[in-house]
Amino acid sequence: MTKQVTLTIDGQQVAVSEGTLIVNAAKQIGIDIPVFCYHPKMEPVGMCRQCLVEVGRPVVDRATGQVVMEDGKPKIQFGAKLETACTTPVSDGMVVLTASEKAKANQREILEFLLTSHPLDCPVCDKGGECPLQNLTLAHGAPASRFIYDEKQHADKRVPLGDLIWLDRERCIQCARCIRFQDEIAGESVLAFYQRGRATDIITNSEPGFDSIFSGNTTDICPVGALTTADFRFGARPWEMKAAASICSQCPVGCNVTLNTRREAKSGGKVVLKRVMPRQNEAVNEIWICDKGRFAHHFTENEHRLATPLARKDGKLALVSWDKALGLVAGKLADAKGEAVVLASGRLSNEDLFNLKQLADGLGGEALLYTQMGGGELTTAYGVPAGTNFAEMGIGTTILVVASDLYNEAPIWYLRLKQAAERGATLILANARETKLEKYSQFVVRYSYGDEAETICGLAKKAHVGEAITSAENLVVLYGSDGLGLDGSSALAAACAELVKSRAGKPNNGLIGVWPRANDQGAWELGFKPVADLKAVFQKANVVYIAGADPFGDNPELTSRIPHHASRIPQHASRSTHPAPFIIVQELFLTETAKLADVILPAQAVTEREGSFTSGERRAQRFYPAVPARGQSRADFVITAQIAAEFGLELEGRFAARVMDKMAATVKTFAGISYRELAETTEQWPIVGRGDLYYGGTTYENKQGLGVILALSPSPTGRGARGEGKPLRPDEDHWLAVPVTRLYDLGITVATSALLKARTGGAHILLHPDSAQKLGLAAGEQVELNGNRLEVRLDPTVPVMVALVPRSMGVPIAGPMVAKIKAA
Amino acid sequence: MLAEKYPEEVKKILEKYPPEQKRSAVMPLLYLAQRDGGYITKEAMKDIAAMLEIAPTEVASIIGFYTLFLDEEAGKYRMQVCTDLPCALRGADKFLEELCGNLGVKVGETTSDGLVTVEAVMCLAGCDKAPMFQMQSSEGLEYHENQTVESAMGLIEEIRRKEQFSQQG
Ligand code: SF4
Ligand code: SF4
Ligand code: FES
Ligand code: FES
Repeated sequence: MTKQVTLTIDGQQVAVSEGTLIVNAAKQIGIDIPVFCYHPKMEPVGMCRQCLVEVGRPVVDRATGQVVMEDGKPKIQFGAKLETACTTPVSDGMVVLTASEKAKANQREILEFLLTSHPLDCPVCDKGGECPLQNLTLAHGAPASRFIYDEKQHADKRVPLGDLIWLDRERCIQCARCIRFQDEIAGESVLAFYQRGRATDIITNSEPGFDSIFSGNTTDICPVGALTTADFRFGARPWEMKAAASICSQCPVGCNVTLNTRREAKSGGKVVLKRVMPRQNEAVNEIWICDKGRFAHHFTENEHRLATPLARKDGKLALVSWDKALGLVAGKLADAKGEAVVLASGRLSNEDLFNLKQLADGLGGEALLYTQMGGGELTTAYGVPAGTNFAEMGIGTTILVVASDLYNEAPIWYLRLKQAAERGATLILANARETKLEKYSQFVVRYSYGDEAETICGLAKKAHVGEAITSAENLVVLYGSDGLGLDGSSALAAACAELVKSRAGKPNNGLIGVWPRANDQGAWELGFKPVADLKAVFQKANVVYIAGADPFGDNPELTSRIPHHASRIPQHASRSTHPAPFIIVQELFLTETAKLADVILPAQAVTEREGSFTSGERRAQRFYPAVPARGQSRADFVITAQIAAEFGLELEGRFAARVMDKMAATVKTFAGISYRELAETTEQWPIVGRGDLYYGGTTYENKQGLGVILALSPSPTGRGARGEGKPLRPDEDHWLAVPVTRLYDLGITVATSALLKARTGGAHILLHPDSAQKLGLAAGEQVELNGNRLEVRLDPTVPVMVALVPRSMGVPIAGPMVAKIKAA
Repeated sequence: MLAEKYPEEVKKILEKYPPEQKRSAVMPLLYLAQRDGGYITKEAMKDIAAMLEIAPTEVASIIGFYTLFLDEEAGKYRMQVCTDLPCALRGADKFLEELCGNLGVKVGETTSDGLVTVEAVMCLAGCDKAPMFQMQSSEGLEYHENQTVESAMGLIEEIRRKEQFSQQG
């Protein structure tokens, strides 16, 4: 433990660890020293002078080195000048006065100065109501200004810094929090000051403007309404909105968020989602979220959401009642028994997946996970156990990232690993191409696509890197699916597991899957098995019950390979020996898969219901309903239970909490977990999310639960499909096309959020400039890849004769493949 | 591209700094870019940023901080009049106003012949000799102190004559 230092602040004694800043020591005993430029997540800079306080220190006799006593107490000498509480560390015997006449006068005057050029347009300012400048002015400001109103400086009020963030130059108080966030935390220096003094501006020269995937966070920490998001600008006043706790459903990090909603005339009197804000969880996302999590929420209110059950009648989909749809579906499933297949994805909650699995088991059918990434039985066995916290990783910890572009796949993990490396952790990046995180790594291991597992198997024996792995006090391995399909990633997972096996169960040690979806890990925990050959499933099964997955949208070719579904001919016209399977689709939208369905069951969005997700760290976390459900849609676990009830199988279909109780009773890794436990919290430091004065409008305090890391299940139930055969090595006329993940893809959540369109673009592939030259192509021109026309983008980090094909960007790609590419 | 246009000079500049601190070369490279084009273009900023592995925004910020770096095209000569408080007390405000009146421009504008841009700037450390200004051009920087509108106009006339002469010559 670090040395404790005792000091007195406004007459109260407090003991804090050495090095603590006065401002934080005061916060610990409930004294708020006003600040603007200081933010507890960033290095102090002492720029705004709002936090000046009187500081006295004991007088030490130079000759004896003893503290001079006066009337039996140490003699305290106060400095002639005030000191900034945000940059001054505490010392023993220090006496701090935050509310003396002198300190108060300063606080008053700095505010008066700031306001001389502030527009005070609070009535139309988005920050009004949660604005530190407003709050501190009311608490510490002068009742009237001595400056002349007409001499206020005026500046541009509508400056787009990019397509996501707007700047109001007049409101900026030049605290540099936004700039420092970009420099220190995001590591993307795309904001800076321009000019000096009163003329100081915030600028961005990046292309596109404010080119950062963390940009939204600057609008939270901006202490005034100078930075606003294009999404929420003039959207609602803070006090009109309700807040519901939720979990971001976009990636396996599982950021804790708050959904702000409002009932408004503008939306026809409906309650609508206005914005997504971070909710503090220091072990997961601290107080940040990425821009995808913040802006890609418009799927909830999209007009194309399914609102009623539909069933096929005379070849066409027609409205039916729930009773009818459930009866129909249940009848088909009951008849099919063991020939029924459940196909679900990690988009669904633990509760949904549990019920689906129970249903499949009850019928004797299979529960399959729709995924292109394997290895979940290994993360269940060798994952990071309870007590693991990225915030604690530093010197002594080695973190190995394999085949994952975290910046795109799990942005907040990217931040966390960057920080860990800055604290002294050894970061090793193994990938076939350069990724952004490499900048912070100690070692880079470069392999060719296809050699992933082999490379990792040999890693421990390599000089330096091997040592960093084997002799590390703590070792965390994150693996993803950059360039990999199900087979390759499963084999890679097995290789990675070998590195952490001997450390199983030790906090801050273990294997983490960088899954493509928020709850893939949950699906593995609940016993879903990945499916390698979808075509075979559709050819064999009698009934396929698909929930939260769009296999036909992802791969249109599948349609022609499924009996009769190419044209959806009525079954009696069947020419094949095997009849078409009866397809049930449970979805939010009329996806390509839904269009082929016999029955469509409208599901509720994550924002409309209760449930829980299991993050990649295997942290089970609860989300709560924020807005009323669309039309007649029902929660997935409810629908499944209602179907099951029709044929006499009893599943919990009323309360998500009770589904969790059942899970806790029957699934080993969920043993003992309850909704109540998931809702427990402990105090999060720094204190920023409260209704306090200085960090108003930043993050939300976590009152709804920090989540629980699941127990490990040491004996893996199955083994991942081992990659058979050799890596793909195309001949000279062919290319190796591999799948990669982009943060902004054409998936439904991004596609329904217009704001992100410009950052997403259309279908494209990435080639090395030399490769493109070989094809006689320039950036932006069209190529043909196995019959698909695509735009070419150049990227020098791509290996030559390899084409990176982003997933969910219009070209089906399940795994690495040999491709023919030519200019179109 | 600076490195292609002035390979020797760029090399010399970069050699002065250890490779891990090459960002320090930003100032001399900015001078070079400004000398080349009269002001620093967006392209030049990107170029310098790439050379020094810093963000283009950081380069722009440095230009913004120093009044001697210019990032907008303007007159060949920049007449930068100090109007800070001490100079104002010695009549700099009035001087600037009258000068602009004589030249037929507003502060920040360029004379119709494209030669002189008049700007108001902060303290130039010549407070006791106000009204004063500095003249910035490709030839360098000149201080002109204890000025009157007449002396300043005289200087501008001289510049005009010189420019005309060099054009004819
Ligand atoms: S925009 Fe906001 S955060 Fe950035 S410097 Fe201005 S006041 Fe501070
Ligand atoms: S990092 Fe992942 S979980 Fe967090 S906000 Fe972004 S997409 Fe959502
Ligand atoms: S100087 Fe301390 S908060 Fe700004
Ligand atoms: S104030 Fe004008 S030169 Fe100093």
